[in-house]
Order: sequence, then C-alpha cells, then structure tokens
Amino acid sequence: MTHNAYHNKTLQWLFYIAVLAVLGAVPLISNDAFLLNQLAIYGVYGMLAVSISLCWGSGGILNMGQGIAFGLGAYCMAMTMQMQTQADGTIPPFMLNNGLDSLPLLWQPFQNTSTGIFLALFVPTVFYLIFGGIMFTARVSGPFFAIMTLATLSAFATIFVDLQPYTNGVNGISPPSSLKLGQTEIDPYSSGAYWFVFALLAACTVAAKLINQSRFGLIVRALKDDPERVRFLGYNVAIYETLVYTLSGLIAAIAGSCFAVLTQYVSPAQFEVGFSISIVIWVALGGRNSLIWAMFGAFTVQGAQSYVGDQFLSTWILILGFSFILVVRFLPGGLAGLVETLLGRTTKLKMEAEHANLEFSDGKEVLK
Amino acid sequence: MDISSIAFANSLILGLSIAGIFFVAALGLTIIYGTAGVINMAHGEFIMLGAYTVYALQTFMGVPYFLCIPVAFVVVGAIGFAIEKSLIRYLYNRPLDTLLATWGVSLVLIQGTRLIFGSDPKYVQIPQFLSSNIEVGGLSLGVFRVFIIFMALVLAAGVWLIFYKTDFGIKIRAVTQNREIAASFGINSGQVYSFTFALGAGLAGVAGALFGALNIVLPTMGMGYVVEAFLTVVTGGGALLGSAIASLAIGELQSFFALITNSTFAKFLIFVLIVVFLRFRPQGLISASGKRR
Repeated sequence: MTHNAYHNKTLQWLFYIAVLAVLGAVPLISNDAFLLNQLAIYGVYGMLAVSISLCWGSGGILNMGQGIAFGLGAYCMAMTMQMQTQADGTIPPFMLNNGLDSLPLLWQPFQNTSTGIFLALFVPTVFYLIFGGIMFTARVSGPFFAIMTLATLSAFATIFVDLQPYTNGVNGISPPSSLKLGQTEIDPYSSGAYWFVFALLAACTVAAKLINQSRFGLIVRALKDDPERVRFLGYNVAIYETLVYTLSGLIAAIAGSCFAVLTQYVSPAQFEVGFSISIVIWVALGGRNSLIWAMFGAFTVQGAQSYVGDQFLSTWILILGFSFILVVRFLPGGLAGLVETLLGRTTKLKMEAEHANLEFSDGKEVLK
Repeated sequence: MDISSIAFANSLILGLSIAGIFFVAALGLTIIYGTAGVINMAHGEFIMLGAYTVYALQTFMGVPYFLCIPVAFVVVGAIGFAIEKSLIRYLYNRPLDTLLATWGVSLVLIQGTRLIFGSDPKYVQIPQFLSSNIEVGGLSLGVFRVFIIFMALVLAAGVWLIFYKTDFGIKIRAVTQNREIAASFGINSGQVYSFTFALGAGLAGVAGALFGALNIVLPTMGMGYVVEAFLTVVTGGGALLGSAIASLAIGELQSFFALITNSTFAKFLIFVLIVVFLRFRPQGLISASGKRR
C-alpha cells in the first residue's frame, strides 16, 4: 500500500470537485461576454484533453486522429444549426453556388433539430466503434494505430474539402444564427452557454474518472502495460480497446458539437493533423495519466498561446516544441508525474519518521 | 466516362512519376523504420531542411544544382546524427514516445527554419535542360520528373549496395534481426543505429533537394510528405523492396483514380484502400524481420 497523497482516492475526488467548482464559478466573477466565450471554448479543449487522457493515458492507445470525432460532431452540429435558419424548402446559399437545386439526402436528417443533435453524437461514435473494432480485432496497436488514425484523419480532411457542394469545401459552414433548443436560443456569448459547456465538461470528466476507477478501467489499464498477459487471462482485449476508444470518441464528439455551437463555424481545419496532434501535446504536458492534469495542460497551452499573442507566436511555438521534447524525454508523466513524485517524496519523509518512531517503541518492523 | 488510350498511357506515366516521388520521400524513412523501428515524425522536416540547404547554397554561394544534392545529403545527415545522439537513442525501447519526441523535433525544426528564413516561399533553381518537357506521340512529361524517377533508381541501387555489399550493411542487417545477439558478436549496435539514422536523414535531404525544385520551398512543406511517406513504408512493411512495390502501387493507383474521378478523391480512395489493406495484413507487404514491432 502506498501512502502517496497523490494516490489517495478521497483526496483525488476532493481535488476534482475543487477544480470543477472553481471553473463553474467563473461567470459569477466576470460577465465579459467575449471572455466567457473564450473560456467556454477552452472548456471544449478540456473535454478533448479528457478524451485523449482516457484512451491514451488509461488504455495506452495513442490516438492522433481525435479530430475525426471532433470534426464530425462539429459538422453535424453546424449542419443542424444551418438548417434551423433555412425557411421551408430553401437550401443553404453555398449549395446554390455549387449547382445544387434541392437539399441533398445527406442533409435531410438535419432538418429536424433533435435528430441533428443525436446524429452529431451518434455518427462519430459509431464510426469509432467500427473503425476501432476493425483495427483492434486485427491487433493493430501502438505506433501503427497512431499512424492509422493519422491516415484516416487525413482522408477525412481530404474528402470534406473535396465534397464542396455538400460541405462548402475549405470555407466550411458558418450558420448565420445560434442554436435554438425549442424556444430558447443559446447565445454563445452568455454565461448560460458557458455553464452548459462547463456542465458537459464536468460530466465527461467525472464519468471518465468513474470509468478509470471501475473494474473495466482496471482491465483497460492492465492491457496498456501488457496486452498479451491480459489476453492469456481470458479477456477479449479487442473489445476493451474498442470500447475505451469509442468512449473517448463520444467525448470528443460532444466537444465538437459544443465547439460548433460556440463558434458558429466549422471548417476542414478541425480535421487538420496539426490540431489533433496539439491535443496530444496538451495531454502529454499536463500528464497523460491524469484526467484533470490533462485538462490543465489544454488550458495552459492554449491560454499561453493566446496570451503571448501573434507577435511572439513563433518563439512560443519554439518553446512549446522544446518543452514537449523535454517532457517526453525526462518526464513521461507530464506535470502530473512531477506532482506525484513531489507528493511521494513528502509522504515518504513522513513515513520514514513514523517508521523510525515505531521501530523505537516496538523494536520490530511494522508493515502497514 | 470515356477513357482514351492516350489519356490512360499518360496517367500510367504520371503514376510512375508519383511513385518515384513517394519512393524518394519514403526511402530514408524505410531505413530508419526498418532498422531501428523508430517512427520518425520529423522526416518531413528533414526533407524540408534538404530543400533549404539547396536554397541557401544557391543563393549565398552560387553552388550549381547538381553539387547541391550531395551537400544536402551531408548536411541533413549530420543534423540527423546530432538528433539521434542527443534524443532518439534514449527512446529506442519506447516506440510511442519516439513518435511524440520526433513530433516535437519537427515543431522545433519548422519554427527554427521560419525564424531564420522567414515564411515566404523560396525557389530552387534547376539547370535549363531539366525544366523542359519531353513529348512523344501525345504523351508528355517534364524532364525533371524523369530525373526524379532516375534518382529514385540511383538511390535505391545505392542503398541496396550499402545494405548488401558492405560491412556496415552486414552490421545493419544483423542489428535489425536481433540487437542483443549482434551486440554480443561485437557489433556496436548504438553506433549502427546512429549511422543508420544519419543515412536515413541524409536520404531525406536528397529528397528535399529534389522536391524543392519540384514545388516551392516553405517551412511547412514537410507536412505534406510525412503522412504519405509513412503509409508507403507501413504498407511496404519496412523493407526496401516493400517500399518500392508499395510506392509503385500507390502511385499508379492514385494516378488511375485521378483519371476516373479527380485528384482529391483519388487521395481519399488511396487512404481508404491502405487502411483496409493493413487491416488484413498489418505487417505490410514484405515484413523486414518477420516479427511485428
């Protein structure tokens, strides 16, 4: 039994609750609309970080194509929002420019808002289920899987640019007004939108944390260390890998949908290789094994990036690249790993002191 | 859709040219991946550095193009050697982390280049006779593309000679098959890895010297090559012959799909085909060492 405070479950939950409470309290302190929107978008990045931490940190599945679920979710949501603003029988203007005269079949389901939102989550999740199932039953793993996700991501980027009449190509879709749920309109610059995104972020984080602590999470972590051994113990490794990959895809799809709602814009940039890999960088810097630290990684990197501004952007990327190399080389656990070591050191000192006392009083070793 | 025989022949030749480009791009990666199992995400940036080396040599020293190619090999090879010595060699038993660390390297290289040379496009000058076109009975192809195919063959022959006709090659193959046993026979496996990595990087430099003349030179030009080069290597299985077959197949298919649909959709089809292929044969066409890494 370790006595590192970092591994104490109660303390972990207290820490999670504290962090989430602070994040949730932001609109009470500030009502700057622009800031709230910006922070809500960081919340979306936080969800992405949580999703990567879940499949990479826990399951050891390095997914460099998380943009697939994110982009698909964002596109479905943007299509839904676009159709809300279309009067009956009319089609989005870019379709007219591309020579379509009626709504294509692909767009038909998005005429209904609830179907559209459902599809924004359903399409990416099912894609992950199928893609993950195919890959993991073929025992594609490790770097190969990473390359496959990268290739699939590139394929999506290519096809979304190419299908111009349906996706408006590189220009992407920018719905003219914000999402309406029933009679209420979700203003992306309101505290309501912030709380909405924050609630989803909190829900995803807590759900992922519960998954990690469950029996399922235990097996997932076991197969990260040694899939062969888990297989020999009689578990179907492919099913576990597929499920954890799909769950992370679902979280990314939620993030994508929120992103479209918040920015009212979606383009093939969401499928860019660079974006998907920067999610991995956030998580690596923050700490891949900890959901909340991965989230911090996203906040810190993205926050610092917008703080340094365009003037120092190139120097900043240089620093980011170097720190990423250093973290991978010397600190595979990221910031969380550092905290874990430091906490371990203090508790170890305390234990040694207690140990010395016990030895002094008893004269024999006591194992806790 | 009517496909005339001329168009078809043209697309075959274009496919050959695409295959040449893929092969040149993937060659250095094949060596590094096939030998050390390292997924080098900075490969595209090595290509980019090769192109910038040629640009710098031409602009500041007026070196003729053909002399620039070997210099690009040496310069980028040396950079690769330094990166291997300072970073990669600590990560050989952590394949996922090598992938990430080399991604960090690529970020630094792109940004460093941008700070030194700026982000405006640069151009590489090539001799007059390379920029003309050959036309034979309705078929046409740029001389430079023929030159790339020629260079692909030369480089392949060179690598084959190194691997199969030199002492160094024997050591590389021994280390590839079993690092520990090779080491117990007195081969300095760390040194072999370093030089293999440098060789792979140098070949990327040559690729850059060629591609720099084919397209404009930009700090981000490497990104376009890396994913495709990877797919070629993984499809090929990490062996030299595998990469050659894979690039030929990918080049021809892409050019053929482009003929019947369009070039973007052709790329998409290729990606899908590769994913499906690797589902059924994850070890690739020709597996370098029999065991899966």
